[in-house]
Amino acid sequence: MQLVEKIVKGERAAIAKAITLVESSRENDKKESRKLISELLNKPGKSIRVGFSGPPGVGKSTFIESFGRYLVEKNYKLGILAIDPSSQITGGSILGDKTRMIEISKNPNTFIRSTPSRGSLGGISIGTREASIILDAAGYDFIFIETVGVGQSEIMATNLVDIFSLIVGPGSGDELQGIKKGITEYADIFIVNKNDGDLKSEASRTASDYKSAISYYKKSNDTADKEVLLVSAIEQSGMENVIETIQNIVSQNKKNKNFEERRAKQFTYWIEEEVREIIQFNIQRKIKADGSISQFSQKVMDGKIQMFDAIEAITKNLQSK
Amino acid sequence: MTKKNSENYTKWQKSFERETKVNLSEASSDTDEGIKIKPVYTKADIENLSFVDNDSLPGQLPYTRGPKASMYTNRPWTIRQYAGFSTAEESNDFYKKNLKSGQKGLSVAFDLPTHRGYDSDDDLVMGDVGKAGVAIDTVEDMKILFKDIPLDQMSVSMTMNGAVLPVLSSFVVAGEEQNVNKNLLSGTIQNDILKEFMVRNTYIYPPDPSMKIVADIIEFTSKEMPRFNSISISGYHMQEAGADNVLELAYTLADGMEYVRAALSKGLDIDDFAPRLSFFFAIGTDFFMEIAKLRAARTLWYKIMRDFGAKNEKSMILRTHCQTSGVSLTEKDPYNNIIRTSYEALSAILGGTQSLHTNSFDEAIALPTDESARIARNTQLILQNETGVTNTVDPLAGSYFIESLTDELSKKAWEIIEEIESLGGMTKAVKAGVPKLKIEESATKKQAKVDSGSRVVVGVNKFKNPKEPKVDVRVIDNNRVRDDQIKKINDIKASRDQKAVDESLVKLVTAAKEDSNLLACSIDAIKNRATVGEVSKALEQVYGRHFATSLSVSGVYGKHFEGDEDFMNVAEKVNTFEEENGRRPRVLIVKMGQDGHDRGAKIVATSFADMGFDVDMGPLFQSPRDVAKDAIENDVHAIGVSTLAAGHKTLVPELMKSLKEMDPKSKIVVFVGGVIPEQDYDFLYENNISAIFGPGSNIIESAETVINLISDKIHKDN
Ligand code: B12
Ligand SMILES: Nc1nc2c(ncn2[C@@H]2O[C@H](COP(=O)(O)OP(=O)(O)OP(=O)(O)O)[C@@H](O)[C@H]2O)c(=O)[nH]1
Ligand SMILES: [Mg+2]
Repeated sequence: MQLVEKIVKGERAAIAKAITLVESSRENDKKESRKLISELLNKPGKSIRVGFSGPPGVGKSTFIESFGRYLVEKNYKLGILAIDPSSQITGGSILGDKTRMIEISKNPNTFIRSTPSRGSLGGISIGTREASIILDAAGYDFIFIETVGVGQSEIMATNLVDIFSLIVGPGSGDELQGIKKGITEYADIFIVNKNDGDLKSEASRTASDYKSAISYYKKSNDTADKEVLLVSAIEQSGMENVIETIQNIVSQNKKNKNFEERRAKQFTYWIEEEVREIIQFNIQRKIKADGSISQFSQKVMDGKIQMFDAIEAITKNLQSK
Repeated sequence: MTKKNSENYTKWQKSFERETKVNLSEASSDTDEGIKIKPVYTKADIENLSFVDNDSLPGQLPYTRGPKASMYTNRPWTIRQYAGFSTAEESNDFYKKNLKSGQKGLSVAFDLPTHRGYDSDDDLVMGDVGKAGVAIDTVEDMKILFKDIPLDQMSVSMTMNGAVLPVLSSFVVAGEEQNVNKNLLSGTIQNDILKEFMVRNTYIYPPDPSMKIVADIIEFTSKEMPRFNSISISGYHMQEAGADNVLELAYTLADGMEYVRAALSKGLDIDDFAPRLSFFFAIGTDFFMEIAKLRAARTLWYKIMRDFGAKNEKSMILRTHCQTSGVSLTEKDPYNNIIRTSYEALSAILGGTQSLHTNSFDEAIALPTDESARIARNTQLILQNETGVTNTVDPLAGSYFIESLTDELSKKAWEIIEEIESLGGMTKAVKAGVPKLKIEESATKKQAKVDSGSRVVVGVNKFKNPKEPKVDVRVIDNNRVRDDQIKKINDIKASRDQKAVDESLVKLVTAAKEDSNLLACSIDAIKNRATVGEVSKALEQVYGRHFATSLSVSGVYGKHFEGDEDFMNVAEKVNTFEEENGRRPRVLIVKMGQDGHDRGAKIVATSFADMGFDVDMGPLFQSPRDVAKDAIENDVHAIGVSTLAAGHKTLVPELMKSLKEMDPKSKIVVFVGGVIPEQDYDFLYENNISAIFGPGSNIIESAETVINLISDKIHKDN
């Protein structure tokens, strides 16, 4: 397949077209997409995938611009997938992340793609996983995935990356206790942004809150430590700590095989997800074609049959088809 | 109300309702400001006013009726036409001709590279040199600009904000080298950076250091240039960007308060600088509203300055320049613009402006020609010499309607001012991006009203001219201007004392680091023949360059069209497109070069998204290469270039070239919107541009054209 070669050679337009393919909702494209991904899985690259999640407006895009600038200066190649939550009633969206990644988007060593989330669960859009496989095959050193964090979604995003970081703003430490109990489980790095100007002391306080929160977390002895980092995306400060932390976590996790294990788990999860989706799709089709649900429910209402007996009958009937 | 009054009123109401068959309570018209304009006003409407004092006279507090007792009866307003283009030589010629024909003051329009602190030889400005104003690279250019114009006699206004230090310095040195000491220079420097971040977009440094520069200039001029206005606090650009009159009024005065505080923080006494603060407002087509706005502005500024503790009467008096509205002028049937401008000019005069610019009828096409500029100037000469409007001061005073409107505008603006103050002032608000977003929302609403036809624009959405006239346009060869400028820069660099330049630039950088006054150091550097770009870059080392993050309004356009057939038709097409193609039509909307006109681009972007498009919004100031990369990586179906500052003939072909280089098989459809003279259409089509959308384009129709073009392209390729 020609497209695969072009991707591996790193041709920008080919990578872009391939991402369009894996995001497409057209049946034909889906088939092609599967073929493409199977082939690319045989040509893995060396990318480290890092997720950056956090509430709207904490500065995720600005941070990626700032951190990205730091990395491209060191000659790393950077692939960025920005999942944009904006979406109008009519379904259209304004993708404005690029206005916050001005410098790095000019750099030939970056590839930046924005995708509307379409309100899909978890702030992750259809095709994000596949897109990162494409960028991996194309030879990017790092793949950054920017997602808006709203509860559930952070957990979804962790399934796509090697390192998951949560970006928070000054003053967000208070919420820790109550709502975000699970938070310490899945984030590897906590980045407290906006550590500048008037916000500095508030940012430090937030960082300590996070530090004390993660101290309760019981880690299994061989995984890398979770870290809390203070940065200012605007002043480009703290960036060296971020890269160092990422590299430390990667090397430690690789040493303990946690890195591979995590990828293997994600792979299993992916397969499960696909299977579930296919089954669900099939069932839905059967239900539609069959029509027995409405017949039985009428019978239940008419008192001819008990509800749970009806359910059992319907299920048996559908499974046999 | 007396008995007779109320009897009369009841009688009148009956007659009114009989004639119109409408209940009086439902007969008001709503303005953009959310003010209800009633069919009739009476004495009762001016009885309990909050801000206006009915007993006050012109030149008396709260100065509602004018800053001076005699106003135009003593001396008419100053006819001050804003102009500048190409080289200093050509602009100087133009100025001198205008002065001979009755113009009284000068007002310099600089080109965009100068505004943004780039020399003409910078790669980033290849399409912009001399195009939308005059190119000034060194003090030598400034001297040429004022050749044979004695600077101790001519008042000069300069619209300069971003590169205010090197440009004001060049003016001071040009004066010196004409043997005019700086304490004799008169005029105004705009020096209003806050509205740059909101709407005008020729900022260079981030907000905080930019505010420091503003304060430095106020400090320096208050001590050394007593005849010079240190700032022109401008609402004009806000209205042109789409703000309604209340927003314009409130944000301008709130900006003013912020500048006062900045100057006070330098340890200055308020009465030492406040008399030299000046203002600038736009005058649009809403005739009475605009009159009321100028009266309200003076009324509120008095209150604000009194509360700041000013003692000198001059500190409390708002003096203003006005410009008629460019955005009210149309590309279609352009002679209508002469009529619009005349009414707007009259409105400014009845409101009591101190000076005025009237636009030319070719406003929506290109910079004015000699001929269109003459008509624009004559609009004012006729008002001054033939109509008698100068014979009576504030002739509308006492009008129930005007007085009540003045008071209502004041009240509404005051509410917004208090809100901003409670949030910590305008610098904070601007950093958070709220005022910009509010203005964009207002602009989007206005566009929706015009596109839906609920607001009539003669010759555009109604009463169209079946035979559009052909008009001449001013053509500027930016490549030639750029070559000329580069040659001049090189000559100067070869002949100047480089060591002195370097030393003065180092001093400037040190001053910036030490937070001492920058203007004196900048004057030294310019005197040594440092360029505008060198001075700007030196400070950039300390302060960095500011990049704006842009927020977008959403749903405002769509809401106006709920249930509208044409709108739904396009939305439906978009849905069908998605079903057929597996994704929505995706369009990248971009601004290239130094053109900072973003109103159109932002409105089109939000409207397209409301119709269901996926819209990628590029940042300001992209190069054609940046755009190509962005477009290819996001695999967009189309690129829409929005261009208003006349860079299109250079930048659009560059974009096409970059696209081809990065993807030889690129199928991206490219179209162009903005201010494009018809004379350039063929050139663009020859460069494979698929469609051109000029001023006044209906956005729903444009969206339909775009989706059709994209679909056609896809079908052709399959
Ligand atoms: C508003 C305005 C401003 C505002 C801009 C506010 C803002 N944030 O946008 C202010 C007051 C700040 C301003 C400043 C300047 N301006 Co001005 N401005 C205008 C004005 C009056 C209206 C433009 C406008 O916003 N119209 C309303 C919008 C909605 O219309 P539009 O952009 O044309 O978009 C419509 C269509 O063109 C089309 N369209 C446009 N883009 C796109 C994109 C796509 C994808 C699609 C489908 C359609 C489309 O659809 C839109 C809807 O109908 C024009 C003259 C005019 N009447 O056009 C001058 C004008 C553009 N300005 C001009 C100049 C010179 C300047 C300055 C450079 C002056 C100076 N030397 O200092 C400055 C600097 C600005 C800068 N940073 O670049 C000149 C440019 C000269 C030329 N082209 O030869 C003009 C033409 C006036 C003139 N004749 O002198 N300006
Ligand atoms: N003071 C300060 N402000 C910052 C910093 N980083 C980002 N911001 C500001 O925070 C705002 C939001 O930044 P974005 O980068 O758009 O945030 P985001 O998290 O990507 O936002 P969404 O994509 O909309 O969820 C902008 O106004 C930034 O200028 C920082 O380090 N310090
Ligand atoms: Mg973002």
